Amino acid sequence: MSGEFIAFFILSLFTIGGAVFMISFTRVVHMVVSLAFTFLSIAGLYVLLEAEFVAVTQVIVYAGAVAIMMLFGIMLTPHREQEEDAGRAQKVVAFIAVAAFFLIAFFIIQGTTWDPSVHHFTEDNTTMIGKTIFTQYVIPFELVSVLLLVALVGAIILAKREENDSE
Amino acid sequence: MPLYTNNYVLVTIFLFLGILLPVAALTFGRFLRPNNLYPEKQTTYESGVEPTGESWIQFNVKYYIYALLFVIFDVETIFLYPWAVAYDKLGLFALIEMLIFIVLLIIGLIYAWKKKVLEWK
Amino acid sequence: MEQYLTQPLSLQTFIIFFASAVALLLLVLGFVTYAIYFERKVIGWMQARIGPNRVGPLGLLQTVADVLKLLLKEDTIPKKADKPLFLIAPIIAFVPSFAVLAVIPFTDKLHFADLGVGLLYYLAISSISTIGVLVGGWASNNKYALIGGMRSAAQMISYEIPLVMSVIGVILITGSLNLIDIVERQREIGMWFIIPQFLGFIIFLIASISELNRTPFDLPEAESELVAGYHVEYSGFRFAFYMLAEYVYVFAMSALTTVLFLGGWLPPFEFLSFIPGIVWFILKFSAVVFFLFWVRATMPRIRVDQLMSLGWKVLLPLALVNIFITAVVKEFIA
Repeated sequence: MSGEFIAFFILSLFTIGGAVFMISFTRVVHMVVSLAFTFLSIAGLYVLLEAEFVAVTQVIVYAGAVAIMMLFGIMLTPHREQEEDAGRAQKVVAFIAVAAFFLIAFFIIQGTTWDPSVHHFTEDNTTMIGKTIFTQYVIPFELVSVLLLVALVGAIILAKREENDSE
Repeated sequence: MPLYTNNYVLVTIFLFLGILLPVAALTFGRFLRPNNLYPEKQTTYESGVEPTGESWIQFNVKYYIYALLFVIFDVETIFLYPWAVAYDKLGLFALIEMLIFIVLLIIGLIYAWKKKVLEWK
Repeated sequence: MEQYLTQPLSLQTFIIFFASAVALLLLVLGFVTYAIYFERKVIGWMQARIGPNRVGPLGLLQTVADVLKLLLKEDTIPKKADKPLFLIAPIIAFVPSFAVLAVIPFTDKLHFADLGVGLLYYLAISSISTIGVLVGGWASNNKYALIGGMRSAAQMISYEIPLVMSVIGVILITGSLNLIDIVERQREIGMWFIIPQFLGFIIFLIASISELNRTPFDLPEAESELVAGYHVEYSGFRFAFYMLAEYVYVFAMSALTTVLFLGGWLPPFEFLSFIPGIVWFILKFSAVVFFLFWVRATMPRIRVDQLMSLGWKVLLPLALVNIFITAVVKEFIA
């Protein structure tokens, strides 16, 4: 049993544990904190995969930005309330959806042929990503900037409407 | 060239110590500090008067707009990093690509500016 | 350190790593103790006072006494607080402040983790602290604490963008995120990045003071209006960990500023290179720390509306201009 395996085991446990807690907590702030924990554990898994840049991006964008945005979002709602238990019908539908998703993911993973050779990306991880994005994937990259601009404008319009309503 | 594994073992040690210190200090302090709670001590502090109303209130939407702007600009900044690192090997074309990217970003910023969401009221 | 980092991991190297990390932790705790003393002395002198001078010779034991007192204080938890989060929030705030130190190189030999993405690691980990502050403010279930926490978080996220962008100029010149490479690059081009990246340096400095929630950007704590901000309800050692996190960040930010813009362990002139690098590092580092205290004694607190517009309308556009100028200059000169 190698150290890498132990680390993988612990990180997976943290990831899944955080996700399970997120579902079972009743207060929304608790949910976001456990979700942030899951995000961090996933970053740890990326480190194990030698994807350093992806790992820090995961931390900076998900744990550092998305989690905080969610907390701010909670503050916008009447957040003292606890979540009510879902009805029976909702539980059944949720179970079917989750089971279907699991089966699809399972068969896709089963059906994929993996490249068994080992690659090492530890040297100049970021440079390689930079080169790939700015030579091979220029168009998607520029589309991303348009998408972000649209998201920004959309967010402002929605928030402005909200603000006018509350006044 | 330091080994990848060693680097992250060190990072893990730092994280572990960062958790250990507060936990150890608080546990150790338990034996030293008094523990004499009574209802008055447990009330919420509000400059000496009885706390009134709820404190978990609904916040103004302006906070949320900052959070949204932050997420969007954060994602955009992340794209600048690999570009800056690989800039030597990419040359003029990458400069133009990034110029387009930054201009779009600035358009977003100007839009937010004109819509007065950057104002703190 | 270098030779152990290149060896495959064994029990012996692990113990050495662990022991050196503990040594750094103790060093940082010592730094915090005397940084607080130094801060009070400096501000005292600047305001024509004496500062702490009672406990121990010259008041040197003042902070030690303060810490001991905090250790003996009761750990009160308000009845209405959200107990589990109230208990762990100071820990969430503290852990990242220490974890960022893992990538700071003190000299080319004396450093800890030598990560390829070092700089980004620092920025990513430090962004987690915001969660600790916000959650602590919320869990207290206190009006001042929650408003303080929200303000603090809004301020930290608003200045994180200019902070993260201001260093891109440095990365453009270096072509690497590794902090040791960044210092080595400053040796190669023969000047510290404060000269070619002066604009970036100014933005970085302002944004980092704001990230540290220090005067003139200490609105979250504005004691005249918010009592103490997000940690009103905290007492004893839990309060101490919020304070500790703040001062460990002073250590980390000053060290990072030294590495990024002031040439780390490099001597200012080549003929002075007989003095060991660590001495230069400590000198520059102390200068930055002193600057932070000096600013605190000099500047009045900024207004909330000015704070937000400074971040978004001044620093952010300037950071973008800085990136653009650096890229163009690099393209046409190099």
